[in-house]
Amino acid sequence: MRVNERTFFKRVDLNFALVIAVLNFVGLVNLYSASSNDASGASMIFFKQIGWLTAGWFIYFVLTVIDYKVFTRIAWFLYGLNLAALAAVEFVGKTYYGAQRWLDLGFFRYQPSETMKLCLILILAKILSRKAYEGGMGFKDLVFPLIITGVPFLLTVKQPDLGTALLFVAIAGSMMLFVGVKRRIIVTAAIIGLITVPVAWQFGLKEYQKRRVRTFLTPGKDPRGAGYNSIQSKIAVGSGKVLGKGFRKGSQSQLEFLPERHTDFIFSVLSEEHGFLGSLTTVSLFAILFIKIIGIASQARERFGAIMTVGILAFIFWHMFVNVGMVIGILPIVGVPLPLLSYGGSILIATMVGLGLISAVSYRRYLF
Amino acid sequence: MQISSQDADPKSLQSRYKMLYIAVGFFIFVIITRLWFLQIMHGNELRTFSEQNLLKEIRIPAPRGIIYDREGKILVENLTGFEATISPQYTEDLEATSKAVAKVLDMAWKKVVKKVKKSRRKDGPFRPVIIKDNLTRDEVFKLALLKLDHPGLDIKENILRTYPLGSNGAQFFGYVGEISKKQIPVYNEKFANQHVFKQGDIIGRSGLEETLDLHLRGHDGLSFVKVDAKGREAASESTKLLGPISRPQRAIPGANLTLTIDRDLQQAAYNAFQESEKTKTGALVMLKTNGEVLAWISTPSFDPNEFSRGISAKLWSTLVNDPDKPLRNKVLQDHNPPGSTFKPFVALAALQDGIITKDTLVNAPWRIKFGSRYYHDHTRSGQGQVRLREAIERSSNVFFYRQGIALGVDKMYNYISQLGIGEKTGIDLINEIPGLLPNSKWKKENIGEEWQPGENLTVAIGQSYVLTTPLQMAAAYAAIGTKGKLFKPFIVKSLKAPDGRIIKENKPKLVRDISDPKNEHHIEKRHFEAVKEGLWHVANGDRGTAKWWKIPGVEFAGKTGTAQVRGFSSDQIYDKCEERPREQRHHGWFIAYAPAENPEIAVAVLAEHACHGSTGGAPIARDAIWAYMEKYKPEMLKPHKWLKGPLQRMREAKEKDKDPKKLKKAQKKKKPLNQASNQISSPPPPPKPAPKPNTESGSSTETQNQDTTATQPAG
Repeated sequence: MRVNERTFFKRVDLNFALVIAVLNFVGLVNLYSASSNDASGASMIFFKQIGWLTAGWFIYFVLTVIDYKVFTRIAWFLYGLNLAALAAVEFVGKTYYGAQRWLDLGFFRYQPSETMKLCLILILAKILSRKAYEGGMGFKDLVFPLIITGVPFLLTVKQPDLGTALLFVAIAGSMMLFVGVKRRIIVTAAIIGLITVPVAWQFGLKEYQKRRVRTFLTPGKDPRGAGYNSIQSKIAVGSGKVLGKGFRKGSQSQLEFLPERHTDFIFSVLSEEHGFLGSLTTVSLFAILFIKIIGIASQARERFGAIMTVGILAFIFWHMFVNVGMVIGILPIVGVPLPLLSYGGSILIATMVGLGLISAVSYRRYLF
Repeated sequence: MQISSQDADPKSLQSRYKMLYIAVGFFIFVIITRLWFLQIMHGNELRTFSEQNLLKEIRIPAPRGIIYDREGKILVENLTGFEATISPQYTEDLEATSKAVAKVLDMAWKKVVKKVKKSRRKDGPFRPVIIKDNLTRDEVFKLALLKLDHPGLDIKENILRTYPLGSNGAQFFGYVGEISKKQIPVYNEKFANQHVFKQGDIIGRSGLEETLDLHLRGHDGLSFVKVDAKGREAASESTKLLGPISRPQRAIPGANLTLTIDRDLQQAAYNAFQESEKTKTGALVMLKTNGEVLAWISTPSFDPNEFSRGISAKLWSTLVNDPDKPLRNKVLQDHNPPGSTFKPFVALAALQDGIITKDTLVNAPWRIKFGSRYYHDHTRSGQGQVRLREAIERSSNVFFYRQGIALGVDKMYNYISQLGIGEKTGIDLINEIPGLLPNSKWKKENIGEEWQPGENLTVAIGQSYVLTTPLQMAAAYAAIGTKGKLFKPFIVKSLKAPDGRIIKENKPKLVRDISDPKNEHHIEKRHFEAVKEGLWHVANGDRGTAKWWKIPGVEFAGKTGTAQVRGFSSDQIYDKCEERPREQRHHGWFIAYAPAENPEIAVAVLAEHACHGSTGGAPIARDAIWAYMEKYKPEMLKPHKWLKGPLQRMREAKEKDKDPKKLKKAQKKKKPLNQASNQISSPPPPPKPAPKPNTESGSSTETQNQDTTATQPAG
């Protein structure tokens, strides 16, 4: 496909790209601090991340100029392929931190549940964009999307990775709620949920099973006990006060009180070293990103683009909320990374692909 | 366009975006509020926490599961003690602290400094260094006073794995030790989903402690205390801020293990080895005929208590370099040629194959020629015309050479493999080796040569390539005693969680009934009876090779054997075994079952470098059997004028220990008493001087199969 240089810069939303780039920059500075004290190859982690970022931005721009509607055609294929990979983890997956999540591809440990989030968004956007549901989706309309979500959900629960599985539900749920669900169904689902969960917890499970469920939520992620990490993270965040302890001066993070500080606990490093101002700035950057995404969705040329954009918003938003919520002690410790800030190829590429698709929706907004 | 035809109008969604803005705004607001709460409202408090007050995690170690014997007597337990530690992280003046501590503990202070520094280099400053364990009450008191002036010094309660039997049974109990830094990731990969290992964890490193580690270890508890910057515990007020997670978690003890071992018999068998004049090292295993292990000895041994305390490099290297291999579980890890103890198996094969009946007379001279070579009996006189019964009783080589020639190796293989020879028994202990039962196919595949007819003769007397472990032999003899019932040996009776839930329970498992005619290579019950008659004569006949060892009131049956350690050139063949350097002397075998008629137990003894099975192995096996009878069949035993059973001797020794007056007397009398009790009617004739050199014999190492005690003129 030929891209005219002039029309490209006229059409592409550079402000959107700028917000992402600033978040990338914040992430890199912070990762440098988090990994520099790491005996196991500090600079390696930092430079690897730069490599992933470069790849991410390349994909971002390629996706921007591709007509994203091709994805409606291959959505089923991608979903099926990803489902197969997810099933393959069951048999040949690598065990890591007590859960089978990875497929070893030699150069890269591929985590199918990560790409599944994107495939799920595409397939649901395709299904939900077929018609406008007058008065919201009814029970019959919901059955098919629920099955589509349920299959990867169960496969991921089996790994066991309840955190990621619940994210599937959160993303799919957000998309369906956005499209609109009949109030009757929302109320019924809420009541059933409110009754079943505590009753099952109280009477259905024995003490050792409850303990298992608790460890199931956090499968060996933190060898010293979930409580300890949560406490140390809260101390780290709080001790940053208004201005923080300064770059590379966070005692909690530098003295290794924080586990996994370059991945899941990256936000506590930021909060400790840059204080309330630093964390507020970062959260605000995310807020701006979300507002921009909603804006792009509302200007989308057709329903598919709008719903897909909202799905990707849900993807990034829920990751961010669950991760930050866990770090600041309002949610349990679940192994969920912070998009654009945490170290890791899988999540970074997945995020950049998502953002690239949004950029593509924005790119085509003038084609009405 | 195809797609837009499927696509509804996006304008219908316009009303929904407001909802998105509200939802995102709400959650962002929650995050910012919480950040405000932590960083602005509680910032000072948490800053103090991070700078001065640290939250220290204190681990409450879970006691490992206790190991009981079959009657619930304790075999392995835990004892609590106190240890002095120094945390490098908190020490202010290491030299001064070391000097003060060293004075109380009576150590060189430089050693203390070295220990702390080494650990800091290796494991980092956060890890407390153990200076001394097993502190006395006095030391605890003095150190507690020092604690005030020396930050970093601490006294901790620890749980010590204790083995009351000492070195007895160490090979199958195993031992425990602290997990090393390198092992942590390895273990966490291996036991992912089951347990998370961390620094300071005690793990089972050998034997049952290792194989059942996940069950025995339990789960450590945790508690959190606020400590000041010097590591001293500050008044712990659980702040509401840090939430309810800082509540202590209780430790869950490990599962308790019950073994099939009988502690009394285990001790009696161990004593039998210790008291033996001829046998310094070796192995013993006593099985019930249903496969339950009653006693299991491998000597020399080591004291696993030393490992619990952290073994010194010096002691470790002594253990590793000891030529008698104390760390090895010789009952299942060592195999040797079975020698004459293999002959009953060949007899079963020959009977079933119809080569002989139990009454066939066979000419057994002092040697026979086969091919171009002579094959010898172990006597110069030969055995004359013998039937199966006498052949086993006197351990005639030539009789079995002839059976070997007639059967050939592959037929021997087919029958004898039925007894479990040449394959692992599958006992629930690690490191078992299968031994070796050769056939022609095996030789071709592994050595690349055709089977030589001459090798049929040497296989028939348990030499050549044949190798067996004591455990296999005990199981196979139990099968002979029960006329064909081969059971799988096992040592773990049950594993129970602390709440009483049964995790694992083992029941006797029949591997096969060899007499079952459905089996292609079955052996009929009457043939077992014929062989049993021969084995009875070994221990009870006039010319039996083990006739000197008797238990008043109970008859047992068995077979002696000799496993040569290495081949000798012809001029050494009739050298007196005892005159050789110890490491070149033959091993003696004795394998038995008792009572002879309806056996309940089988015992295999491998007496290393004892030269003969009859003098080295048989007395030890006799004592083990006797102890069983004393305990489980006392009504069968008859009182004897001066002979006492091993359990009775143990009881009396204990009583003497209690009575200080008698103690001295006992010590004086001890030696002669023991000697007398080892023998019955008459002591075995001292091994005769070396027979005259055999001039005709070529360089035949195979003729080594001697049961010298039977070196008597042919009848």
